Amino acid sequence: MSTLSTPNGLDEPGSSATTSMSTGASGNPVFSVDGLWKVFGPKADQVPADPELTALDAAELHTRTGCTAAVRDVSFDVRKGEVFVVMGLSGSGKSTLVRCLTRLIEPTAGTIAIDGEDVRAMDKSRLRELRRHRAAMVFQHFGLLPHRTVLDNVAYGLEIQGIGKAERRRRAAEVVTKVGLEGMEQRRPGQLSGGQRQRVGLARALAVDPQVLLFDEPFSALDPLIRRDMQEEVVRLHREEGRTMVFITHDLNEALKLGDRIALMRDGRIVQLGTPEEIVGSPADDYVREFVRDVPRADVMTVRTAMRPGDCGASEHPGALAADAVVAEAIKVVSRSGKPACVVEDGHCLGVVDHARLLDVVAGAELADTGKGAV
Amino acid sequence: MATVTAPAPRLALPGVLRHRAAHKLLLLALAAAILVPLANAHWASGSWPQALTVDLSGPLGRANDWIIDNRDSSPLFLYFFGYISNAVVLSVRAVYLVLLAAGWAGVTAFGALVAWRVAGIRLAIGTGVAFLACGLLGMWVPTMQTLALMVVAVLTSVVVGALLGLAGGLSERTDRALRPVLDTMQVLPAFAYLLPVVLVFGIGVPAAVLATVVYAAPPMARLTTLGLRNADPEVLEAVDSLGATGRQRLLTARLPLARKQLLLGLNQTIMMALSMAVIASVIGAGGLGDRVYQALASVDVGAALAAGIPIVLLAVVLDRVTAAAGEQTDESAGEPGSTLRPWLYALGATVAVAVVVRLAGALDWPSGWTLNIAEPVNRVVDWMTAHLYSGVPYLGGTADWAGHFTTWVLDPVRDGLQWLPWWSVLLIVAALAWVIGTWRTALTAVLAMAAIGVLGVWKPSLDTLSQVLAAVAVTLVLGFATGIAAARSDRVERALRPVLDVCQTMPQFVYLIPVVALFGVGRAPAVAAAVVYALPAVVRITTQGLRQVDPAALESARSLGATSAQQLRQIQLPLARPALLLAVNQGVVLVLAVVIIGGLVGGGALGYDAVFGLAQGDLATGLVAGAAIVCLGLMLDRVTQPTERRTKKGA
Repeated sequence: MSTLSTPNGLDEPGSSATTSMSTGASGNPVFSVDGLWKVFGPKADQVPADPELTALDAAELHTRTGCTAAVRDVSFDVRKGEVFVVMGLSGSGKSTLVRCLTRLIEPTAGTIAIDGEDVRAMDKSRLRELRRHRAAMVFQHFGLLPHRTVLDNVAYGLEIQGIGKAERRRRAAEVVTKVGLEGMEQRRPGQLSGGQRQRVGLARALAVDPQVLLFDEPFSALDPLIRRDMQEEVVRLHREEGRTMVFITHDLNEALKLGDRIALMRDGRIVQLGTPEEIVGSPADDYVREFVRDVPRADVMTVRTAMRPGDCGASEHPGALAADAVVAEAIKVVSRSGKPACVVEDGHCLGVVDHARLLDVVAGAELADTGKGAV
Repeated sequence: MATVTAPAPRLALPGVLRHRAAHKLLLLALAAAILVPLANAHWASGSWPQALTVDLSGPLGRANDWIIDNRDSSPLFLYFFGYISNAVVLSVRAVYLVLLAAGWAGVTAFGALVAWRVAGIRLAIGTGVAFLACGLLGMWVPTMQTLALMVVAVLTSVVVGALLGLAGGLSERTDRALRPVLDTMQVLPAFAYLLPVVLVFGIGVPAAVLATVVYAAPPMARLTTLGLRNADPEVLEAVDSLGATGRQRLLTARLPLARKQLLLGLNQTIMMALSMAVIASVIGAGGLGDRVYQALASVDVGAALAAGIPIVLLAVVLDRVTAAAGEQTDESAGEPGSTLRPWLYALGATVAVAVVVRLAGALDWPSGWTLNIAEPVNRVVDWMTAHLYSGVPYLGGTADWAGHFTTWVLDPVRDGLQWLPWWSVLLIVAALAWVIGTWRTALTAVLAMAAIGVLGVWKPSLDTLSQVLAAVAVTLVLGFATGIAAARSDRVERALRPVLDVCQTMPQFVYLIPVVALFGVGRAPAVAAAVVYALPAVVRITTQGLRQVDPAALESARSLGATSAQQLRQIQLPLARPALLLAVNQGVVLVLAVVIIGGLVGGGALGYDAVFGLAQGDLATGLVAGAAIVCLGLMLDRVTQPTERRTKKGA
């Protein structure tokens, strides 16, 4: 049973928390995870199979069996080219989850597929091949080798693959430039600032040219300003290369900023999976609602949600907002003109936003008839 | 008001009973109440009951005789021990010949060049001066003998230790099996290792080298394991995430990350090997240790000092150079290709110097260049004997002090311990060990103590124990006071640091020389040597423990207006408790090691038995004493072993 359906529609009539499910099936997923469990403790493998035990919550499970379920029955797809964010507080199982993807932590039950190939069935050499070429990871505390220079750290993944010294250093130098560390090739990690070290970590992952980049809370250990720089670096890299990314974070703002889709985890389960707008606009339960309460909604919600659907009828579209413009932009347009603005896609008018609807979105009030139905 | 009394029924127990230590003591008292009358009824005697001893001297003597008879015929000796023995003799001989062929100038040049490469110009000069000083004191040949033995022993120790450490670092199960053994080996006095080796190999160089290896390999093994296990898990995870094979992981990440610990292991192994190589003079190691041993036997302080100074110089130089190698930061560690060449230059320069000196015909240390310090030193000692030993107005004299210490402290403690019924000694041991540690440590301690009784050396062991207790008490009083002073004042710490550094590098044996000069021979000098030897470690651990107390806690106390005495009593000492307990533990272990060696200068008891056994070829007596030393070491370590140390190891 998928976790995605659990919170659906319980207290949220008309909620669209699971709309992503339907679209998820269409693309060709890079990672496809289904019914994944990771249980730590004695006789861990018996827990996922036993419906009586799976029904228990974390504390009861621990007292009954001495086991801790870090990841419980998690299913999701990571689509090609998207930034998939897994977000949750500490102890929610998100770091364990990302390690299960390349079996740095061995999952207890469930299936993981990368490009349709079963990861859990891979033998040792196949798994090494996966780690060497297809998925590279960036770590919270960088995980750099202190006795090597920046260049040799970046080239390390290539060295592991058995690539010759000259070739790997040439390729590493390119990546070092790409992450903005030129001139520091001969320094050691100990001589770098935190932000620079994480750039080295990022470069090391990029150097092997992986299909997927996995980030495990990469910026949590950095100062806020450096963190913002690094987030922008990731956005830039993603825009330039379109690489698929799985990004773990405990920072909601980071998740909203980077994520195409966000999976929100609590106690090992995904409580909601959707676009930032879906998470903020229609929280699946009270936990999520509490979580997103302080998010400036005008910066997340799009006019597609805010508009009253239906053609305005006029040939000219005053204001002419794009459908995925955020509400904050619409407010500027509407307040400047003093009139409702049209939402336009491919030259057609999808709907109209006026100041009342925009205010409703900002205030978090229910919209009478959302635009979602029209999508 | 009424609410306060509400939960009363559960809390009505007296506060003492809720304390864990009190619980343990109560349980123990209960057990004692049942067992003691039983034991007393069967074997009522103050000393260990005769009925409970096992006389091992017969079987041990027979085993010794069998080994002597079969050394040349039994296949075990012919094809196993014989080969080991021959290999050791040959390699020591080979190294010795190489050192002689290099001549004094070649060895000095090589030492200085190595020191220069590893640790810079200042240590290079120091190394050169130290070697020249050895020659100047007329000790060049013994120094080379000791060095040759050291080279072979250290290389073997490092290989054995690194392999064991690698096994422990890579396999959890091996680690769990090895760790208690290595831990125990580290607390045993050096003397305990000599006798079993002599039993198999007889007195001579092979026995000395092997005893040294057994003594010096554990730190290498421990630190290798530690280095491999303490690698930053996230780095290793990152290495895994890039698809490294097991071998790549070991060679490119785990070993380089453990570099610091590996070099520290090398440092400790060298220092332990030097310490043991000197003590092993008792079983025929020759070299500097032998000179000290012979000189001490005839109370010739001057000659002992002439051989002792090279030992100290060697220790300081070896320690500084290897420590400097370990402290080289990651930044300065260059490419492997670039470090090889300077070494070749150093080797070339050595050969060149050696050839030049050989051509000049000055291969041996020129006899005209020696400085005889033995006579002037002996004159000073004679003067001291005449003027300082006794009769100094108001102060008494050193011999008087020693006498008083023996009469008023050592004798009462020894007589008191020997007067105590044997079961009460066991009870005290159990109570102490259990309160400080766990029931496991208490059990080990009691069993070790009982084993001493069974071996039939109850009385001499208690004699040794009395010396240990007296020395530990003095050490702790002085050590804690100095440690507190050093922790509170940067100036005191700065002044103490070089002294402590030198003291901690010196081999145990060397401490006997000044003590004999000051106090003559007897039990008090042995205790004094033990105190001097153990003091630096206690001071250092105390200072570190007090300085590492959470500054936030201290600051909050200051902000509440605590006086410095209050800060010390209420914040620093309680928070530094683990460090203080560790200091006690280390103090006890170190004191025991020297009190045993004190057998050489009239300390009597177990140490004397061991030396006597070796000197007279009466290995049965020696081995029983050795076993008792092991038991005493185990007991003292376990009694003072804080729970924290145990739990940390489990993690």
